Amino acid sequence: MPALSHTSRSSALTGTDHSRTRGYGYSLLLLAPGLAMVLALFAYPFALSVWSAFHTEAGLTLANFSKAWQLYSKDVLFSVAIISLSTLLIAVLAVTIAGYLTLGSNPRIRAVLAWLYRWPLFIPFIVAAQIMRTFLAKNGLMNNALMEAGLLDPLSARSYLDWSGIVITFVWKQVPFVTLLLAGAMAGIDRSSSEAAQNLGASRLRILFDIVLPQSRRTLTVGLVLSVVGMLSVLSVPIMINAQTPTMLTVDMAYRINSSGDYGVANALGVMSYALAGFASWLYLRTMIREQQP
Amino acid sequence: MKSQVLMLAPLALAVASLNVQADTVLNVATAGSDNMVQYVTDYLGPMFEQQHPGVKVNVVGTGPGDAGSQKIYEKLEAQARAGNEKWDIDVAVVHQSKGGDMVREGLLTSYRKDIKTGSLVSGDAVANALGTNVDGYVMPMFQSQTAIAYNPDLVKQVPASYDELKQWVDTHPQAFGYNGIKNGMSGVAFVTGWVYAYGGDAQKLMHGPYEQGEAAKWNQAFADLKNFNQKVTFTPGNAGTLDMLNRGEIAMGPVWVDMFYTWQADGRLNPDLKLKLIAPGMPGQPMYYVVPAKAEHADLAKAFIELATSPKVQAEGIVKKFNWYPGIDAQNVQSALDKADWQKLFTDITPADLSSNARPFPIAPYFDAIKEGYESQVAN
Repeated sequence: MPALSHTSRSSALTGTDHSRTRGYGYSLLLLAPGLAMVLALFAYPFALSVWSAFHTEAGLTLANFSKAWQLYSKDVLFSVAIISLSTLLIAVLAVTIAGYLTLGSNPRIRAVLAWLYRWPLFIPFIVAAQIMRTFLAKNGLMNNALMEAGLLDPLSARSYLDWSGIVITFVWKQVPFVTLLLAGAMAGIDRSSSEAAQNLGASRLRILFDIVLPQSRRTLTVGLVLSVVGMLSVLSVPIMINAQTPTMLTVDMAYRINSSGDYGVANALGVMSYALAGFASWLYLRTMIREQQP
Repeated sequence: MKSQVLMLAPLALAVASLNVQADTVLNVATAGSDNMVQYVTDYLGPMFEQQHPGVKVNVVGTGPGDAGSQKIYEKLEAQARAGNEKWDIDVAVVHQSKGGDMVREGLLTSYRKDIKTGSLVSGDAVANALGTNVDGYVMPMFQSQTAIAYNPDLVKQVPASYDELKQWVDTHPQAFGYNGIKNGMSGVAFVTGWVYAYGGDAQKLMHGPYEQGEAAKWNQAFADLKNFNQKVTFTPGNAGTLDMLNRGEIAMGPVWVDMFYTWQADGRLNPDLKLKLIAPGMPGQPMYYVVPAKAEHADLAKAFIELATSPKVQAEGIVKKFNWYPGIDAQNVQSALDKADWQKLFTDITPADLSSNARPFPIAPYFDAIKEGYESQVAN
């Protein structure tokens, strides 16, 4: 992008149409490798998968979608519910942690928190899923520790390897990511208004919700939308943690391909995922545009 | 279709990451769980390399269940479509259903007549893979069987049939565990056995002919299974079922017999756990050795399979070390083993149990219909 603006400015200075065209030509040449990568590795497979979702041997049809909906409608709703709940919890926890990091009074707790919260960022989803499998099982680490501490009766121990395990893993993994973005944004806000409010007697909670959060809301939205898209695409967590039905769409896609080589229905499920991700992006864009209007 | 080729890139890379020092590399791709890959890397591969100096056996595991075979199938299909003269898989180990598909699509060589051990096998599975004629194209590596594993400390009255199991689950909710149909074949086998028991004509499902309306007769069986599922625990796979049995989280569950015995032999499983092959029967299946139609080292591949299906290797490797039932006819293997090792295979499940309750999987279209029916009527 800088190359484009630079050459177009210089050609504007020379003032001839000829050199301006040549300038654009060079810019396009510079862009070409990146553009080709995007087209070949993203646009083409994407188009192919959408095409294959709407296409069977009988021609253009919605058959794949009706089969996908007939077999997996519960899984679609399950995926939406899991991701909505996880996103909500991520938002609450990220705001809490980032808020304390920005406004907290005890510098020692702030330092420890700042050091601690990032850890899950460095752990891949598949490892997180494996950790949770041993941690959340009925006779897993968490229940055993609670039993040892006398806080849990062995007979009433339950396994969290179901929908709740997926939510716990998603939240554990995504909170640091959103917090990192949000804490950065909060730290960049001009402190004078918060300090003024503090001088006038406003509580920290009030400052967080009335002054700091509104100014960093865009960053929070970006973080949450990216989390939604990320969670939609994770296969390892639902497949390793939740052995029951309903399950998430990625598991169904893998099953359709692996068990029956059925790319049509798998791609139909893929298009449903794109739609869900697209909806999240639309919400984000809408807030962005609204905020930019005077 | 090209997107499928792209998806296979990791497999292609794995196959291509050869040991450059060896003169010749024999690429063996094997579907199935970890133990299948281990069998070739730790046992069969080194033995073959010793007998063929200058040859290196490169093993690629493609994953458990039909999924693993599907990856091999897609790779061969991609190479066939691309018009390659030499394909880079020399020997593949695949499941029954995909083995049948590969024969139908002309992706394999008919090689059984070319190897000396070809005459040591008989039985249905040598010629018939879920309804497809595969005679000449396959050699069974081993025969495996699903059965119900249980903890005798927790299960006093062991169910001997699907009916008794249903009653047991009614009185012991959540103590029976299985892995549904998305997490491996032992769960699929359990569901198939259920349809054999309650879906009408099991013989027709196993041997054909295929009739479109047959699946409609299973509605009640699926409705009962949905009800049954409310009272069971779901496990994440065959290994997951064994893990949960071992930790005492469930008391019973369907597993593959070979993995059960291997884990017990390795000390990974409570030695007190036992097996029961319930009536009217649960499915088992062989894994097949196949040679792709344009394998680069077809002659070496045949030599490899000849070694793998020789009575000595079947006795030592398949039965003694890995606890599978032999792929070639039993009388050719039994003489190469001492009595104790032979008996070990039949401690919990007797030869009589096997002959009355060991079943093949159904022919392919019924098999697909069972999986699809489970998805729409039980899971949904």
